[in-house]
Amino acid sequence: MAIIQLTINNEKYEGEFDTNMPLLWALRDAIGLTGTKFGCGIAQCGACTVLLDGKAIRSCGITVQSSIGKDIQTIEGVEDSMYRSLQQAWIEEQVPQCGYCQSGQIMSAIGLIKSNPNPTEKQILDAMSGNICRCGTYPRILKAIKSFIKSNP
Amino acid sequence: METNGSRREFLKRTGLASGGLIVGLNFLESCVGEIVQNNTFPNLEPLQVLENGFDSIGAIEITDFLQIRPDGHIFLNLTKYEMGQGVSTGLSSILAEELEADWEKIHVRYIKSSVSESDTTGGSTSTLLHWDLLRRAGAFTKLLLIDAAAKQWTVYKDQCYAENGYVHQHGSNLKLGYGELVGSIVVPKDYRTLFAEVPLKYKSNFKLIGKNLKSKIIPDIVTGKHPFSIDVRLPKMKYAAVLRCPVFKGQLINFDSTEALNISGVEQIVPIKLDTSDNIRDGIAVIANSTWAAFQGKLALKAKWDLGVNAGVEHGKFVADCYKKLTIDEGTETLSIGKFDESEADEFISHSYEFPYQHHACMEPLNATSHFKGDSCEMWVGTQSADKIITNIEKHLGIPKERIKINCHPSGGGFGLRYSSEYALESMVVSKAAGGELVKMCYSREDDIKFDHLNPFELNKHRIGLKNGKPLSWELKSVMANWGGVLGWMYYNIPKLSASQIMVEGFTQVGAWRSVMANAEGFSTECFIDEVAHELNRDPLEFRLSLLPRNAMVDFKHSYKCNISRLRGALELVAKRGHWGKTMSKSSGQGIAVYPYMHGNGYGATVAEVAIVNDMIKVTKVTTAIDCGLVVNPDQVKQQAEGGVVWALSAIFYGGTEYIDGVVERSNFHDNKVLRIDETPEIEVHICQNDEPQPWGVGEVAGPPTYAAVCNAIYAATGKRVRKLPIARTYSQL
Repeated sequence: MAIIQLTINNEKYEGEFDTNMPLLWALRDAIGLTGTKFGCGIAQCGACTVLLDGKAIRSCGITVQSSIGKDIQTIEGVEDSMYRSLQQAWIEEQVPQCGYCQSGQIMSAIGLIKSNPNPTEKQILDAMSGNICRCGTYPRILKAIKSFIKSNP
Repeated sequence: METNGSRREFLKRTGLASGGLIVGLNFLESCVGEIVQNNTFPNLEPLQVLENGFDSIGAIEITDFLQIRPDGHIFLNLTKYEMGQGVSTGLSSILAEELEADWEKIHVRYIKSSVSESDTTGGSTSTLLHWDLLRRAGAFTKLLLIDAAAKQWTVYKDQCYAENGYVHQHGSNLKLGYGELVGSIVVPKDYRTLFAEVPLKYKSNFKLIGKNLKSKIIPDIVTGKHPFSIDVRLPKMKYAAVLRCPVFKGQLINFDSTEALNISGVEQIVPIKLDTSDNIRDGIAVIANSTWAAFQGKLALKAKWDLGVNAGVEHGKFVADCYKKLTIDEGTETLSIGKFDESEADEFISHSYEFPYQHHACMEPLNATSHFKGDSCEMWVGTQSADKIITNIEKHLGIPKERIKINCHPSGGGFGLRYSSEYALESMVVSKAAGGELVKMCYSREDDIKFDHLNPFELNKHRIGLKNGKPLSWELKSVMANWGGVLGWMYYNIPKLSASQIMVEGFTQVGAWRSVMANAEGFSTECFIDEVAHELNRDPLEFRLSLLPRNAMVDFKHSYKCNISRLRGALELVAKRGHWGKTMSKSSGQGIAVYPYMHGNGYGATVAEVAIVNDMIKVTKVTTAIDCGLVVNPDQVKQQAEGGVVWALSAIFYGGTEYIDGVVERSNFHDNKVLRIDETPEIEVHICQNDEPQPWGVGEVAGPPTYAAVCNAIYAATGKRVRKLPIARTYSQL
């Protein structure tokens, strides 16, 4: 346990954490940012995806210790960012059904667009293939990302 | 005649909160009961007057399901459970249509507790069961609002009309918002008759039903605010994980918690034990200050188990036994139409099809937050059967029903798994064992896979008797593990039918899995009929259509009669839109299938295209046609069909389970694979036009015909028949 400061959605959070705890559980249980979801715990499903210094990572696979000093962005911060329109594309295409995987899907999509603002369909599918959806919203995820790219060239 | 007395009576029966109008579901259902049974209206217990709308406490709260607040906002308390199938939006639109409400001012709330049968959710029945009730609720409430406005204006009622959340006066600019009117509502003495006879809108006047209204829950989902039960955070809440007996029906002998208690954050370790008749496994609960600490504590526990009767069960032997039973057991007859003499047929075709155990793997792992308080308790949970949770808690913990409060949350998938309520009872048992701590018990993904209530294994043998190339008889014999029963739905026009089932004991607990028995039987029936068509040198579509006489109704003795015109319509539509019979390139092919889903009276048909690309079996396109009766929201129907197709594709390629000594081997998404976005084909959904007077089921319609269409397409592409799922990903392993 140690007193640690994390920077999440441009805000500072200070608290006593088990430094070996995965960032996922620090976000959800200690800090209360529950928009980031627990799906598998072994970086296989993508439900817990957040941005770490702009890159999409699985927050279940990185410790609190490794997150210190990094810029952490979660789904809760998207509304106030330039990627608000990606959420709008998600609404426009009526992507989610149960919605549980969608925070992770959106964060993965932002990660992709940040690194490659104009991806091909193949690149989109490759980048999004780490995110599982059991409701089968994949065709609409693809549509929403394409539509965002089209209106944000 | 309207009197103050009758108004008071109504308020007692409906409750008036914060100046808003609340209409109770018990009240409404009783009214519907009267319509159906034409009986005397039952004496209703007066509903409590709530002090604080939806936030007040008390078991009666669930009965209050429609509230109009003074600011004009309207809240529908969902009595059907939202798990992604879209009831929040669909049911709201039915209510709003007749209420002439402003769609933007309609909101949904999740029910607080639940004791009535109407709160179970499953079988693709939510919309069809609530259609009439919600329309009447909307129309009835609209009339009360019009009455109130007419009184304020001292004009006749017929000088007023309702539109978009306001009552207007004809020939003037006067209007009153619904919120302004709720305080002055007066209820006529004969409100029961009014409810029963309230005029409903003609379909042609629908403004909301039939439109692609946007989901009421998606804005919260995309911002991470949708209130899943796993996200519950309460003061003084602890976190719990349970180490369960790895083999079903095994027992805990002893355990060592020394190392686990040394883990930072672990506070308490307690054994839990229950009557296995309700599928709860023996286990050891770790109570901690975070989910992570609880998971770590669980890993550090050392337990000794008596593994019990299922410890020696091997899948290979189990399957071999099932095939053997198929040959030697007669089974229990469940269907017999027409006496069949074998000598009447001049040819027989018979094949067996194996549908494996299937995992749910809902994205939100099972979880429930429970607070055991001795003589009462409270729970926060996503569930398809809150009533079953209440019954189970009463049975096992002795708390009377009226002192059990369940806060229902939407969930990250249900697919039938959340119809089983053991995880919820288990969390309450953990709370009790932990001395009444408020605990959020969460399954790890490994728990969620290993202790899943699997779709039962099912082996189906079909046999058809032919005379001069014409089907004369059909027999289905089914071997299934522990659960359900053979459906025996034969919609093709074959004079003599029989079905029988052989129930066997499987190794673990089983339960409902999206489309339930229609999966195995849709797969086997439609693969089989395709094989028969090919063996008779008939085109698979033409052969099917020749056995589907228009206007026929067939009674499977299951909820609704099978409407062959609608079934045929779906098949014809999918054949047209899916370009059945088009020229396909080498190593690719088309497959077709159709199947009814009688629990919800919906019909689905599929054309699948498969290509072998670099040895990989690729499903390149799936076209689906759905007949779900009157369409409430076309886009939501499409969503459900897309989901059903992806669900079936996962099961085709990655379904099944493996177990050794009664222990499920799969543990997470690396070995319990599901379809990913880069494997997903183009999916096209078409909705059949029809004159059905009401909506029918949607959610479980698209899956069953998908299995067979894909397998039949594999045959068309490769010449190899698939009679067992799951199948290999590559042609060379097929």
